[in-house]
Amino acid sequence: MSERDVDLRVFADYDRDVVESVDVAVVGSGPGGAVVAKELCDAGLRVALIEEGPPFTPTEYRVDGGLSMARTMREGGLRATVGTVMPTMQAICLGGGSLVNSAICNRAPDFVLERWCERFTLKHTTADDLAPHYDAVGRDLGISATPENVQGRRNLLFRDGCRALGIDCEPIARNVRGCRGSGECFTGCRSRAKQSMDITYVPDALRGGATVLTSARVEVVRTSGRRATGVAGHVVAPFSGRPSHRFRVDAKAVVLAAGCMATPVLLARSGDLANRSGQVGRNLQFHPGVAAMGIFAERVDPQFGATQGYQSKHFLRDGFKLETLWAPPAVLAVRMPGSGAALKQRLAEVPFSAIWDAIGSCNRSVGRVVARRGSFDPRLEWRLHPEDTPILAHALFTLARIFFAAGARSVLPGVHGIPEELHSLEEARILETHPIRPGDLVLGGNHAFCTTRMHGDPAQGVVDELGRCHDFDNLYVADSGVFPQCPSVNPMWTVMALARRTAHAVAATH
Amino acid sequence: MPADAQRGEGERRSQRLAERRPGSGEICSAVMFVGLAAAFLVWGLVRVFAAYPAPQQPAQVLRRRELALVSAVADALFPPGGAIPESGREADVAGYVDRLVAASQPRQRALMRALFFLFEHATLIFPAAGGLRGLRRFSSLDVGAREGVLERWRTSRLFLRRLVFTSLRALCTLGYFASPGVLRSLRLAPYAIDTPVCEADLWYPPIGASRASLRRTRADLTPASDGVPLAQGAPLLAGYGKPRA
Repeated sequence: MSERDVDLRVFADYDRDVVESVDVAVVGSGPGGAVVAKELCDAGLRVALIEEGPPFTPTEYRVDGGLSMARTMREGGLRATVGTVMPTMQAICLGGGSLVNSAICNRAPDFVLERWCERFTLKHTTADDLAPHYDAVGRDLGISATPENVQGRRNLLFRDGCRALGIDCEPIARNVRGCRGSGECFTGCRSRAKQSMDITYVPDALRGGATVLTSARVEVVRTSGRRATGVAGHVVAPFSGRPSHRFRVDAKAVVLAAGCMATPVLLARSGDLANRSGQVGRNLQFHPGVAAMGIFAERVDPQFGATQGYQSKHFLRDGFKLETLWAPPAVLAVRMPGSGAALKQRLAEVPFSAIWDAIGSCNRSVGRVVARRGSFDPRLEWRLHPEDTPILAHALFTLARIFFAAGARSVLPGVHGIPEELHSLEEARILETHPIRPGDLVLGGNHAFCTTRMHGDPAQGVVDELGRCHDFDNLYVADSGVFPQCPSVNPMWTVMALARRTAHAVAATH
Repeated sequence: MPADAQRGEGERRSQRLAERRPGSGEICSAVMFVGLAAAFLVWGLVRVFAAYPAPQQPAQVLRRRELALVSAVADALFPPGGAIPESGREADVAGYVDRLVAASQPRQRALMRALFFLFEHATLIFPAAGGLRGLRRFSSLDVGAREGVLERWRTSRLFLRRLVFTSLRALCTLGYFASPGVLRSLRLAPYAIDTPVCEADLWYPPIGASRASLRRTRADLTPASDGVPLAQGAPLLAGYGKPRA
């Protein structure tokens, strides 16, 4: 197929208002929407995949962390929750978050799915139910364990520390083919090894005949009675968001996959759609993350190796998961203590350091998404529950244990009110004994869920198990908003598995 | 009251008023006082909100006062010498922050500007050490006083104060680590990578360009990544190598 044969529109190509008529309009090209679009094309349906951001190619990537975030993230990467202040991000680009995440793929643990089924009156969301969808996505994207030759010392030190303590750990499975260990997942993979949606499922959909509208912001879901009739909005300029031409896509079914922070805003702005339960935008959950940095006597050269190559699910039932981490030095340096000469001394230790993080399963810490007046960006209200704070402190202590077991000279826990540098396990025990408040932690919330949660009872949830809104016959949601609770592990693979199931339900019905 | 008596009372009142009316000398004094007060106020406002030095390089969006504040913070955060030779000024932190603000959307830009304004003038409410000399805008303080102010923000018991400090320091640190010289000195500069050309690259034009501008064809496709790990010592990404003398 030649480069001219696909129906892809970019900002410079719109010279008039656009009206399209298709079988299914899919809003959002991240892991949810891209999978849905590809599956529906495979089923022979006419699909319009609509994405607000532009396509990025490697020449558009910026290895500089700040500029990269300003270009690829909504609100320039400066989005944060209010209540408990915590930065969080949402990508705005073709492929969504898959372009700028570290490609971690985990299946939701069995105990999580069992809990979902039990507490949310779900009957067909067991591990067995989702296995065929996980498997298919895994094959499509080449999901496999990170090979040892691209782990780099930063990841292998984590493995060594875990093994020394008898803590289960494993190489992280990722949607990557041919990783070279450049550690640049967060700014876009220049090796084109990461199998992000923009080079996998979106091209599959294009080949399958999909119309892909980029730089197109959906502003309203159009409805008639219990039926969605399409979507409408404006073409917007990349980066500035300045609106230009209008577009309208008429469709027999609509799938919203704009992300759990944007989909509720779209439903609210469309006239409080699908909200007879009152649950749209509510139940917002995150995996709040904390990180610690270990300083070693010898160079670690942390820039070499897979961005996130090793993880431990040993403590999942205790409420946290551990993983290795690398990010642009500028982003990591933000968390270094001190200022002046002391700060420079710290920064000079980055090549001797490794940074590892923990993500918490904080089901008690909930909030909501509300539409911000005069904007399509959400206002995120969320609080870390007091009983979840000790879990994160314990996770930090566990990271410190692993660091010292791996031979670290010291650990920087990044917690206000306790020493900036801990030199021994004994000193690290302060993480367990000192009363730590939510504001003392440097949090990051990169996985968000539950704002259009699935529930078997239409009075308590927004969508059913197949992602269809209880209040509509043909309006679906296929992003992490449908999770009834946080999954305790990185969500992308589960988003894609659920989205694939939703796509099959749409294809069977429409 | 008889009419005469009424007239007499009126005259006395007029006389008293006339005696109270200021003379020309008093008016002059009052005008001078008001003028001096106004001049002092203007001088104060200029000292506080204006009279910033001209920037060494033209900025895209930041105003003089914002550049002065960012430069002052960068000087204090990243002084010359020490573990990393390059200073904040040499790393052109202010230039980077200017580019970052320019690349940001209007709301974020406004928030960053508010952050700069708050930090610049907070020392007028919470002065730096040194008595009256500490009662100046941040960028007018000497480097030692600035370091003290930064440390007080950083270690404050108030979460919001620490948040403000962290936000400002984050912007400056992003700028410092964007410097090729800083990254080179730590051997953290990014390597050149031969990026494979995949099918999507035939379809996606550069951002802002039309698809009609696409020139690549299937003949330009290259093999996918071979998975060979990057080697230390490989050539650096263009722009990160040592500048030629």
